[in-house]
Amino acid sequence: MSEKKYTKEHEWVKLEGDIAIVGITNHAQESLGDIVFVDLPAVGKEVKAKEELCVIESVKAASDIYSPLDGEVLEVNENLSNDASIVNQDAENEGWIFKIKVSDISQVNHLMTLDQYKEFLDK
Amino acid sequence: MTEAALQNIYLNNFHKNNNAKFVPFAGYNMPINYKHGIINEHIHVRTHAGLFDVSHMGQILISLTNENIHALEVYIPLDIKLLQFNKCHYSFILNSHGGVVDDIMLSKIKIEDEEFIYIVYNASRKKIVNTIFEKKILNYKIIQDRCLIALQGPDSFSVINSMLNLASSMKFLDIAILEYENTKVFISRSGYTGEDGFEISILDIIAENFVQKIIQNENTILCGLGCRDSLRMEAGLSLYGNELNEEINPIQAGLSWALDKSRLNDKNLNCFHVLSKEINTSQSIKKIGLSPVNKSMLRAKMTLHNENNKKIGKITSGCYSPILKKSIAIGYINKTLDMSEKLYVNIRDKLEEIQIEKIPFVKKNYKKGD
Repeated sequence: MSEKKYTKEHEWVKLEGDIAIVGITNHAQESLGDIVFVDLPAVGKEVKAKEELCVIESVKAASDIYSPLDGEVLEVNENLSNDASIVNQDAENEGWIFKIKVSDISQVNHLMTLDQYKEFLDK
Repeated sequence: MTEAALQNIYLNNFHKNNNAKFVPFAGYNMPINYKHGIINEHIHVRTHAGLFDVSHMGQILISLTNENIHALEVYIPLDIKLLQFNKCHYSFILNSHGGVVDDIMLSKIKIEDEEFIYIVYNASRKKIVNTIFEKKILNYKIIQDRCLIALQGPDSFSVINSMLNLASSMKFLDIAILEYENTKVFISRSGYTGEDGFEISILDIIAENFVQKIIQNENTILCGLGCRDSLRMEAGLSLYGNELNEEINPIQAGLSWALDKSRLNDKNLNCFHVLSKEINTSQSIKKIGLSPVNKSMLRAKMTLHNENNKKIGKITSGCYSPILKKSIAIGYINKTLDMSEKLYVNIRDKLEEIQIEKIPFVKKNYKKGD
């Protein structure tokens, strides 16, 4: 298991082999407030990095979630269809949103480490 | 608008110290929620009491003279002379084709034997409405030294009554002038959440003391504009800029109950010719309540479609209802629509089925007279 990586769009990525588990960061869920709906992507969908993949709705507004890497959607977190507030409760574990089968692992090198993400937040 | 250009309300620091999250709203830096979050604040108002600082709203005291009544009645469809003292009336400032320039609360009050018309109006319309007052009214004071505090929820009466000596006979839409720490407060049994509650106009200098005392009560929490919006939507109440604007008249907005019908034949009302005709003809658009068939979120500006994908209306307000635990929306549709047809909403270029719901979505809980 590798360490988590982060995007400027406030997603976290955890790699398990060539499978990336993706969610939004704890910072992101805090600023979104109460999350009430996640419009999950279709399994099997091909995506490019930085492409809008799905939408997360908080009581305040809808926010796009981008794919951090090129690949294909392998699985989505169906628990979120019953209770989207899992993302508020545990954004970086139980609140994962989708898994993608990554087509170009080297793209991971463009993502931020935790220290870099923290620095990015402080800016 | 940049943050630097935003105005702060008087108790800004108090809200900051209470961990408010702020959003720009109508030119003001306003609390959207506090530490409990929008959903918990919403539920607290429905079950106990929540305190809202709505000091961004406009307040004006106008000397009650025949000239001022005549001038105001050009825009306001009420018979002001006949109104009882100490009663609030929901009404409008209308343009010459009946469009809503603003929706307002108007009352006649006496302060130390002097008689006034007291109007509360929207922050987003201050500039336009103040221009009308400045041009047409003599002897008035746009209030700039008072906060406006709303306490809403079933426990509001007991909380306020422990601080001010309320008359037990005070009912929904009554307004009174009471003393607090040797200052005058204007307190009305009103609000915009569908719950029992009060709106209190209190001098800036004493406002923090007053608010501190209220939130010391264990049944009261601070609430922001986030839940104020979902509360008013559940109650089916219109919001200026969403359901109301200068292109929509009160009859189309489903608010003809708020018009004094006798005024529709009065040539002094600038739009009497439009409204007197419209009140007897069927309107081209109609306000409806909506909810999604599946779990999607409905939001303002989404378009409504019939089975043939023809655009037949749009959503003006949409939110998540913490009480119904699903999305609800208010919108306008063409009135010629066949109501047996299925209705759809365009969510990010996908059509999703929606259903019509009764407004209000959640029963109102006002303390009305017997």
